[in-house]
Amino acid sequence: MYKPEMVKLLREIQAVDFAIYELALFLNTHPNDRKALEDHNTLVTRSRQLKAQYEDRFGPLRLDSISKYPYQYINDPWPWEIEY
Amino acid sequence: MAPNDKEITYSYPHMEMKLAEVYIPMQVYGETFDLHTALRYGTLFPDLYRPYVRRPLM
Repeated sequence: MYKPEMVKLLREIQAVDFAIYELALFLNTHPNDRKALEDHNTLVTRSRQLKAQYEDRFGPLRLDSISKYPYQYINDPWPWEIEY
Repeated sequence: MAPNDKEITYSYPHMEMKLAEVYIPMQVYGETFDLHTALRYGTLFPDLYRPYVRRPLM
């Protein structure tokens, strides 16, 4: 079963990562925009913190995440089992 | 060109028309949506937010 705090963190990660993607697209055509780059980098830091926080509490998010024993990646819930 | 390749020529239809030219202004970095709004709207930038709206029924 999944917990409300877990869904909240996932939603936060999704929103931050979407914004990073948007800023990356903008920066492709505006590499000298200092403000956009600063905002991008700030969000990347935040995304990394959120993912570390999530993984500490709820286990690995990705195949390249470190797992404690036994392997945790296969634990419930799967992405499609979560209601946002 | 290889000897068997046929040369293809393109020509414009004989019409009194001009080719299209486009001008796209560069986007300026300004206001951004709050992150959760951006995720819902599908863009971070208010300048690019142009949702389709249902036409009123005739």
